[in-house]
Amino acid sequence: MIDFKNVKKAYPNGTMALKGIDLHVDDGEFVFICGHSGAGKSTIIKLLLREERISSGELIVDDYDLSKLSNYRVPQYRRKLGVVFQDFRLFPKKTVYENVAFAMEVIGTPRRDINKRVPSILRTVNLAGKENSLPNEISGGEQQRVALARALANNPSIIIADEPTGNIDPKMSLEIMQLLLKINKLGKTVLVVTHEKGLVDYYQQRVVSLQNGRIVDDKVGGMYNEKV
Amino acid sequence: MRRYNIFYFIGQAFTNLWRNGLMTFVSIAVLMSLLVVIGGFSLMVVNIDINLKKFGEMNEIVVFVDREASEEKIEEIGNTIKALDNIEKDSSGNVTGVTRISKSEGLRQLKQENPGVYDDITDENNPLPDKFVITYEETAKVPELDYQLRQIEGIIKVNNRLDLATGIENLKNGIMLIFVWFLIILFVVSLFIIVNTIKLSVFARKDEISIMRYVGATRSFISLPFIFEGIIIGVISSVIAYFIEWFLYAYVERMVVSDYLQMIDVLTFDDVSKYVLFGFLAIGILTGVVGSSISLGKYSNK
Repeated sequence: MIDFKNVKKAYPNGTMALKGIDLHVDDGEFVFICGHSGAGKSTIIKLLLREERISSGELIVDDYDLSKLSNYRVPQYRRKLGVVFQDFRLFPKKTVYENVAFAMEVIGTPRRDINKRVPSILRTVNLAGKENSLPNEISGGEQQRVALARALANNPSIIIADEPTGNIDPKMSLEIMQLLLKINKLGKTVLVVTHEKGLVDYYQQRVVSLQNGRIVDDKVGGMYNEKV
Repeated sequence: MRRYNIFYFIGQAFTNLWRNGLMTFVSIAVLMSLLVVIGGFSLMVVNIDINLKKFGEMNEIVVFVDREASEEKIEEIGNTIKALDNIEKDSSGNVTGVTRISKSEGLRQLKQENPGVYDDITDENNPLPDKFVITYEETAKVPELDYQLRQIEGIIKVNNRLDLATGIENLKNGIMLIFVWFLIILFVVSLFIIVNTIKLSVFARKDEISIMRYVGATRSFISLPFIFEGIIIGVISSVIAYFIEWFLYAYVERMVVSDYLQMIDVLTFDDVSKYVLFGFLAIGILTGVVGSSISLGKYSNK
């Protein structure tokens, strides 16, 4: 569950990025967050990742009140999230397998659990057989699937995808979206930040539209709001 | 959950150091120089202290008598000295702290200490004056005794080692002052270079660190390889500095313990080696750890 209650965010330079956001996302929901540059999409992601703190209001993710979360507990909180970036952020010298395993290694997962879980995740994202490939030996879509597999590695309850299709061709974009829906059907909450109208319109999920730091539209089964 | 093996962090640290080879080399060179200078100055100060103590323990004043003085006059001078305050006495009050060394005895001692050098000097052409070696009881009253001795007619020179001790003490304080400034400057330079070396490692692994953070790696897990990097720089610098100090000290020791400077006591490197090594390791590791912590700064904050 994600709950923004009148959340405001001002940066030290005076920019008011969020001007009072109220947004509730239930467990297992699929939500598109749309808006132009500067609308506040990135700030929402930063707040959810607890890279930034809210200036006022209340932000609760699962059992964590992010306005009160101490730095010490941030790593524990982040293990509930899986993040996918537009630019994949894979390690070029690690194989597909190692890239996924890395996420589990750094939180101290025992090797036998890693060896059991990684092949299963790679099957989920249709990358079975690519374990030993390096990122530069596979396509952009496949790289994004590796990033998605890495995001799933620690079995998070929420997946945050920041422009996941921004760097790949339309056919691959559909594949990634299908995977995100598949992951959503497995019970994960999925937030997709995007400005790709075609995808948003095609999938007709809940669409939250942002403009100048405010939510201007929030519709289940909605379409891309072209006014924003 | 498993606990990470320390060798994982050490391995990561070595990988980073290897990746930034040139900066690693520069860091080690600068920190090593800092340690050699600290070691050199410290050993100098320790040796000066030992010699100052030696001068203090000697509690002797030597007075020289006019060459023209008659035997009776010299006797009279001796008795006058014995009557002064602050001269060493035995338990029954007899003066034991005044020893006359005649000019012929002085020549014999000189010839014994420097065989072959003064062979052509005989009692006939002996230029040495008679002298009295005076042992005093209280160092604090030496200036008074010194003054009284200078007032005695027939005494041409008073050799008071306190002057020398004061001179050396002043020299030591001067050296200490330079040492402290050197230390501060070199410490800041070393820290600056180590900070930059480790910043390069942090920068090279920026993406890796951000992924680690997003998947929930703890702050210590992210920081430890860099802290170990600082420790490794500290340890390598310390060990190299130790051997350089050893070599330099042995050279200076040979030079000081020559014929001309036999009066100076010098500690052997064996006497101080373990303090030098542990001191170097402590300073080296501390500098490395502080440098790493500064470099990590914003990366470990969020």
